[in-house]
Parts: sequence; structure tokens; C-alpha cells
Amino acid sequence: MGETVVIKGSKSGIILVLSPDASYETLKKDVANKFKDSASFFGEAYKAISFKGHKLSDVQQMEIIDIIQANCQLSILCVVEEDPETEENFRQALEKKLNEQDNSNNTGQFYKGNLRSGQVLDVETSIVIIGDIKPGAKVISKGNVIILGSLQGNVYAGAAGNVNAFVVALDMQPVQIRIADAIARSPDNTDKKGKKQKNTAHETKIAYLEDGNIYIEPLDKDVLSEIQL
Amino acid sequence: MGEVIVITSGKGGVGKTTSTANIGTGMAMMGKKVALIDTDIGLRNLDVVMGLENRIVYNLVDVVENNCRIKQALIKDKRYPNLYLLPSAQTKDKTAVTPEQMKKLTSELRNEFDYILLDCPAGIEQGFKNAIAGADRALVVTTPEVSAVRDADRIIGLLEANDINKTHLIVNRLRADMVKEGNMMSSDDVVEILAIDLIGIVPDDEHIVISANNGEPLAGSDCQAGQAYMNISKRILGENVPYLDLEVTKTFFQRFASIFKR
Repeated sequence: MGETVVIKGSKSGIILVLSPDASYETLKKDVANKFKDSASFFGEAYKAISFKGHKLSDVQQMEIIDIIQANCQLSILCVVEEDPETEENFRQALEKKLNEQDNSNNTGQFYKGNLRSGQVLDVETSIVIIGDIKPGAKVISKGNVIILGSLQGNVYAGAAGNVNAFVVALDMQPVQIRIADAIARSPDNTDKKGKKQKNTAHETKIAYLEDGNIYIEPLDKDVLSEIQL
Repeated sequence: MGEVIVITSGKGGVGKTTSTANIGTGMAMMGKKVALIDTDIGLRNLDVVMGLENRIVYNLVDVVENNCRIKQALIKDKRYPNLYLLPSAQTKDKTAVTPEQMKKLTSELRNEFDYILLDCPAGIEQGFKNAIAGADRALVVTTPEVSAVRDADRIIGLLEANDINKTHLIVNRLRADMVKEGNMMSSDDVVEILAIDLIGIVPDDEHIVISANNGEPLAGSDCQAGQAYMNISKRILGENVPYLDLEVTKTFFQRFASIFKR
């Protein structure tokens, strides 16, 4: 009996040849074993995939992809229908997907309005917010966060792990700032009215990550020149 | 094996959160290992009153949805290392948690802590049901106002219907001067209406406002409310503490002013 599952690899994609005779359930099991065995061979990589041999529904394709990702370090970015220029298709599709992922840093969008307690703004790209972030509100961005207003709530920049992400606010009094894997919280001293002690001057500040620590500094020329997009 | 205590009132704004923060702090000062759980999902406050808002990473909903371990979500207090807070989520609502999940959560915490205090939301809907699900006993907070007392009565009934029979009463924001003049119900009046045992009387004290704004509970400090809350903590731990004499000692200036009022 021949193998039910054959993996053919190319530079940016893999072709999964599935036996048309085997049942879907056995295929699932065999795919899991196959990829577990060759996990170290593939290592950690982004790949596109195409299926051959066995006819699969969309749901089944997604299931197979989940099985693959669960059993090895590969990240399957997209499925490509088979055709003569498969390799070319792989390359283009993969590049496009990768570009979309990296874009978070230098493409952005705008949001106008105040974010109040309990509101969450979750975006894939960098974001410019024209308004205030109140305590209890939260902004999550895979890129940078620029607040043309007062930051009194929570901000999570570089949510996908981008350590170059930064946060700028005209008035920087955050409860918590997160950049990639680092978290910084506000100091505990408050005045009698329960407000955070205000900086005497409302100064535009930037928060950035360096050596695993988050620093907040006035936004001046020197800091600006070090910003990486 | 820890005890789970729900602090509830029915009516809003009578001091559930303040009481939770201060009683928890008081018990921690007595050396007990205490966990405070804010069950007011969507309108969280306990973290602010405790001054721990800036430390929140995970919350109650993350725990019940298994996004994190309980240990990751528990925040250690600034001042007392055996006091912990499990904050509530701000971006969800009460339906994010079920009574069964709360039961499971409290039973897990029982192994770790001596006391688990649940800060209940106002109202008698889902949030209330979640909060009382895992509780062994209840502290009902009321102020000496008819509306608050009426709601407390309803709550006591609901607690009994849910087999929580160990309920005690906290009369909050009592003003001895008004009681003396006959303009406010006394704690005895409230106890008579509600027919449950009293566990503490907390006077109306401006220090409470200051302490909440500073994010530092005042249990144990030398103001009257601080003493009152400390005494409640001690009574929960089984000590027999006499009630405070809330007789207002007028300052010289007030006496002086009252002469002119006549």
C-alpha cells in the first residue's frame, strides 16, 4: 500500500498530495503524523500550501491547515489552487501576505473622538487618534499609536510583537503602556483629589522600548531622529 | 479551607466597594491571606479604590475564559503582601460570566486563601447571581435611608432563597448627630426592620472620600471609619469587639457656632 500523504516542498510553498482513496479521517491522522515527524526539517517558516489528489471542502482544508500548524513550527499563510504556475503563485501570494503583516508600522489610519472607560480600539495598523483616551479605555495597535490629545488610559502598541513601536501623546498620563512584550505602569503617587499628579507643563512625550524597558521622554529632535519605522 | 464572603446591598452607592476594600485590608492587617474579587463586570471600581488600576493585565473574565491562570490575574496589594485583588473586566458585561464559573473560581481560591471577599454589583440581576453563587456568607451593606433599607430587605430575602443563611448587616454612613436629633434612623431601627444580626456600624466620615481618591483603604487608621472597618474585620475573624462610641465630640468652634444657631 502506498503512502496516503506525500509532502512536496518548494522554496516558498508546500504541495500536499493526498491519496484520493483514503478516507478524510485517516488522512487527518496521517497528516498529523507526517508533519510531526518532519517538524524539525521544516523548522520555523511561513509557507503557502496547495492540496492535490483528494478533493477537500474549504472547511476540511482549514482543518488540515490547523493540524499542520499544531504539529510543526510552520505558519501556513494561504492556500493556493493548483495550476501550472504554482511556484509563481506561491511566491506572489506569500509576499503579499508578508507585506500585509509588516505594514502595521508604516501604514496607518485615523480615529476621531474620545475613547471613554470600557471602550477598546483595536487596529491592525498604526493609528492617529484625534481625541482623548480616558482612564479605563484601551487602544491596541500592531503598529504605533499617536494621540493628539490626552492619554489617561491604556495603550498597547506593537501588539504583534514589534519592538520598534512607539506611543506619542500631547499629554502623557497613562495608566499603563505596553509595547511588544513590555509593560509599564504609572507611578502610585496621587494628590488628594485622586488625580494623578499633573505634569506642570503639558508636554508632548513619546514612549518607546529599549532593552526591554519602556522609556517616556519629551519628544525632541534627538528622540525623533531615532524613530524607526 | 477559606471562607467566601459576598458583600452586597441591592441599592447602589451605599458603600459595597468601600466596605470590601476596607474589610479586606483590615483582615490582611490581622495576618490573614485575603483575596478580593470585583464581580462588577463593565463598571469596575474596586481596583481604583485599592489604587491598583495601573497593575491590571488580566481580569476575572480572562480567568474564567482560561486566557490566563488565576495566579497571573491576581494583583498583590501595594502595602499588604497577603492581600490580593482579582479585578473585573471593563470591556465586557455581566453575561461574560456564569454562576457555575464563579463557583468553580471561588472553590479554587479557597485552597489558597483564608478569606475571599466578593464585591457584588448593585441590582439583583445576573451580576448579583454571579456574585452570590459561590458564597458561604454575606455582608449586607445599607445606609440608614428608607430606600437603601428596602433594597437590603429584598436582598436578604434573595440570599435566603439561595441558601445563604449566614448574613450580617453593616450600617454605613451613619450620622450620630442626625440620629440624636431624630432625623435619621438609628442602627437599632435598621436592625429591627431587617431582622438580621449587626456586624458593624460605620459613621459618615470624610476620610473615606479622601482614602478612596488616594487609592489607599483606611482600615486601621485612627479616624472613626477606619476604626469601624477594622472592628468589622475583627468581628468576622471571630473576635468580640465592642461597638464604637460614635457620639460626635464637637470642636470648640462648632459649639461656638451652635450657640448662635439657637
